[in-house]
Amino acid sequence: MTRLIGGLDRLVAAILSGGRWLLLPVVALLFLQWPLRDLVRNYSREANDLGQWIFALYVALAFTAATRAHTHLAADTVARMYSERTRARLARAGALLGLMPWALFVILGGANLVLSSLSVLEKFADTSNPGYFLIKFAVWVLAGLILCQAIIDIARPRGSA
Amino acid sequence: MPQAGLVLLLLVGLGIVLTGLPAAIVLIGVASAGAAFGVLTNTIPLALLSALPGRLVNLFENDLLQALPLYVLMGLLLDRLPVAEALYRSSVALLPRGPAAQLTSAMGLGALLGPMNGSVGASVLGLSRVVAPRLETQGVPEPTRAALVAVASTLGVVIPPSLVLILLGDAMLSAHTIAVTTAARSDRVINTQDVFHGALGPAGLFLAACLIVAWLVGRRLPATAMPDDPPSRGQKILALVAIVFLLVLLGGVAAGLFYAVEAAAMGAFVLFAGGVVAGRLRGPALREVLAQAMATTGALFALLIAATTLTLVLRMLGTDRLVADWVTALPGGDLTVTAIVLGAIGLSAFVLDAFEIIFVIVPIVIPPLLIRVADARWVAVLVLLTLQTSFLLPPFGYALMMVRGTLRYQASLGALVRALTPFLLAQWLVLATVLLFPQLTHLGENAADRTRGSGPPVSSDEINRRLQDMLTPIPDDPIDLGPPK
Repeated sequence: MTRLIGGLDRLVAAILSGGRWLLLPVVALLFLQWPLRDLVRNYSREANDLGQWIFALYVALAFTAATRAHTHLAADTVARMYSERTRARLARAGALLGLMPWALFVILGGANLVLSSLSVLEKFADTSNPGYFLIKFAVWVLAGLILCQAIIDIARPRGSA
Repeated sequence: MPQAGLVLLLLVGLGIVLTGLPAAIVLIGVASAGAAFGVLTNTIPLALLSALPGRLVNLFENDLLQALPLYVLMGLLLDRLPVAEALYRSSVALLPRGPAAQLTSAMGLGALLGPMNGSVGASVLGLSRVVAPRLETQGVPEPTRAALVAVASTLGVVIPPSLVLILLGDAMLSAHTIAVTTAARSDRVINTQDVFHGALGPAGLFLAACLIVAWLVGRRLPATAMPDDPPSRGQKILALVAIVFLLVLLGGVAAGLFYAVEAAAMGAFVLFAGGVVAGRLRGPALREVLAQAMATTGALFALLIAATTLTLVLRMLGTDRLVADWVTALPGGDLTVTAIVLGAIGLSAFVLDAFEIIFVIVPIVIPPLLIRVADARWVAVLVLLTLQTSFLLPPFGYALMMVRGTLRYQASLGALVRALTPFLLAQWLVLATVLLFPQLTHLGENAADRTRGSGPPVSSDEINRRLQDMLTPIPDDPIDLGPPK
């Protein structure tokens, strides 16, 4: 069990480590929007669509990156008075009762939405550019990573997540 | 069972304060519990909850939200590159020597960097690193240093094109769309650009007030023998280039030449390129910046996702209808009703951060307010000013909490509140002025910019009837539950 959780932890870490580089193409593509639209007068919609699905994947990964880096906004003025053990239990309860059921629901409830889009490799409706299915797939990426991280934190709590 | 939604909101407040858990996790947990309660009591059909993935897709494809990681990246880069220091030293060198110059320059730096930083947290970190040590060497007392850094860090909230302003603009667009549809008015729906333009006048007023207060506070402090650190030639050039670039960005957005997201992308791109050329973003440093950017973006987006879940559940429970009934039944005219709703937002600021207010409270209370009050631009700017106050309200104001942690503040909270008081009074004075003079949010507005249509006003009975018509039935297609885009 410990090895399984360790493996899951390394897998999530590897996905996030690779995913952080997605920010650079997002910045570059959005930076190019204005010159492409107003100067080149071409390709701005392609750049926009490309930037949109990369952005979707990036923020889908970012939720779990925030959980692992403890950057979620929290008001812990009162909780600072609790013992480490109590805070670890609260964090575990948050993962078990909050994040896990939510992630499971999004994966199951979004199955039709995601699978139907994936099956036809859905394109952007306005431009017919490819890649729209990746925006819907990002919903599964988001929920899948949150679920994996919740399992890791329940099995091996990271303090006040 | 609309009252159940109010219990959920109460649980959110208590959960955030008492558990110390991330607000996003509390929101998701409370929303999940509310949804389970709704399904078990047959208040919410299970099938309707499948609207949630569709709402998440809406978030992912929202053009405006693409600005979020860009601002985060800019904030991180500004903290690593020498731009802030060059601006601060150059500003101090331009003013008469002494603590007043330091305090005024710190405020000016907050105003210059805030809109680019996007987040108050990033501004606190930057100003704490660049400004606070120099204020200390000038003998500025600890509470005054902390108050100044806190206030200067929030200036970016009201000065376009800040992240808070962009997110509020998006929330106002949704709220106004619901209001205009419900009241069957011919208004043009407000957009982020309208909020930008509306905020310019009040933001200018507040900035001027802050600069004056900082100067006066500095004048009362004893001068020290410590010499100011003069800027180098390179720093002067960098400061000049930075100011010109900032003015081009702000001017371009204000003039409508490019969108706020594009301005943010330009800022992020130029800073990133500068960092690479200067050799400050290589290897581990670059990987660290990208990891921090992802974690910070995730924290903000998590709030958005969590609030989307909670507002969906609240809507299914009918809580938005209950709040709409209350707002519709409030006595008085535009001014009274707006002041009461702003007061409610201000009260929620004691436990919720500005981002949480935008994502959770605004979608519930602003649509019914905009049904009664047609001036959406005025309402948006008032909400913005209230949010800025929320960052500074003791004891839980986000900027205050951040400053106390970052500067390792040791003096009493009372001393900090006393140091903060003149700035808060200035803030409230501007808020009251905008409340009493809505035209301040319409400066330079031409006919094409107006959001208000020319149709006759609708009676309160008619508004009530239309609200019931609009809010009572839950659509068959769960994907349509979201506000019109």
